[in-house]
Amino acid sequence: MKPLFHINFRTPLLALLLVLAPALVAKAQDSRIQMGGLDHLAAKASQTVDVSIDERLMRLAAKVFSDKDEDEREVKQLIANLKGIYVKSFEFDTDGQFVAADVETIRMQLRAPGWTRLVNVTSKKEGMLEVYLLMNGEQIGGLAVLHTEDRELTVVNIVGPVDLDKLAKLEGQLGVPELGIEPTKKTKKEDEK
Amino acid sequence: MNDDYLWDKTGQPDPQIQQLEDILGTLHYQPKPLALPNDLRVPQRRNYVPLVAIAASLLLALLAGGIWLRVRSRDEAPKQQARVEEPSTPKPEEKPNRAPQSPVNKSVVVHNRRQNRSASSVLPKGEREEALMAKEQLMLALRVTTQQLHLVHTKTSPANQIKNQHRVG
Repeated sequence: MKPLFHINFRTPLLALLLVLAPALVAKAQDSRIQMGGLDHLAAKASQTVDVSIDERLMRLAAKVFSDKDEDEREVKQLIANLKGIYVKSFEFDTDGQFVAADVETIRMQLRAPGWTRLVNVTSKKEGMLEVYLLMNGEQIGGLAVLHTEDRELTVVNIVGPVDLDKLAKLEGQLGVPELGIEPTKKTKKEDEK
Repeated sequence: MNDDYLWDKTGQPDPQIQQLEDILGTLHYQPKPLALPNDLRVPQRRNYVPLVAIAASLLLALLAGGIWLRVRSRDEAPKQQARVEEPSTPKPEEKPNRAPQSPVNKSVVVHNRRQNRSASSVLPKGEREEALMAKEQLMLALRVTTQQLHLVHTKTSPANQIKNQHRVG
């Protein structure tokens, strides 16, 4: 008996692949880093900063930035083309609360094509600080900062074309108080010297 | 012999032909209405078009429902918040310079809210609250980011490198 419908699966499959291929390529070039692997550290941490702002929240936040205030105007310009900001920072009371494998979950993603390590500062006393950039041609497609110390682990991920100059200018202008994320003790010592 | 009979039935017919005519004549066409037997069953071809249309409609409805639910759940998703968690009981070895930070935090947040009141007054209430919360998170994220970049700058500046060399020396 003849089947009622002759369905050729090859053609729709090819069409589907053609449709999905650009999306898959775009996904591969996405500068979003998955930080879920670090969530278990929150239970051990004495202080946790967990910020997750996607594109929708970014656009929403941009609506309440004042154009009259210079600082806010600068922030608004900075975030205009960004697609997300994700931060996870943990501070611990004792050493050894996180292991190299935790850091490796992040670093592994930053070894993907497109990412370039811009800065790598390693010292026994002050830990390790790495800055990565995702380049889309000549444009910056994302930024990642990975900072570890004996009692601290911080990961920052900015998705989208970030203007590093504008970001650097914002320092000290945001009016956001000290959160104790930066090792203030060390900076004080440095200032004294 | 005249063959005209075979052409136009004129002339004298051949007896053999006449005999054949008599035999086959009973089978010639006789107009009468078609009589179909009552028990005759005509095999029907099932028409699948309505079934396919119904299935396609159901599929589309399910798809639309799925998309709607997804959009709705995204809109109603719990607001993403920046969490700054601190231990409930302050520990004795905690750094003393962190204690006075929380009042400063509050004052800055209040200051930001005051500034935003006029700009965000055009937004609906729920959306405005979400936007203000997103703004606070954003400021916190930018603060952490700039701190980290400042740290990079400090650690990579030539002065710091000279200092480190001096320490080693």
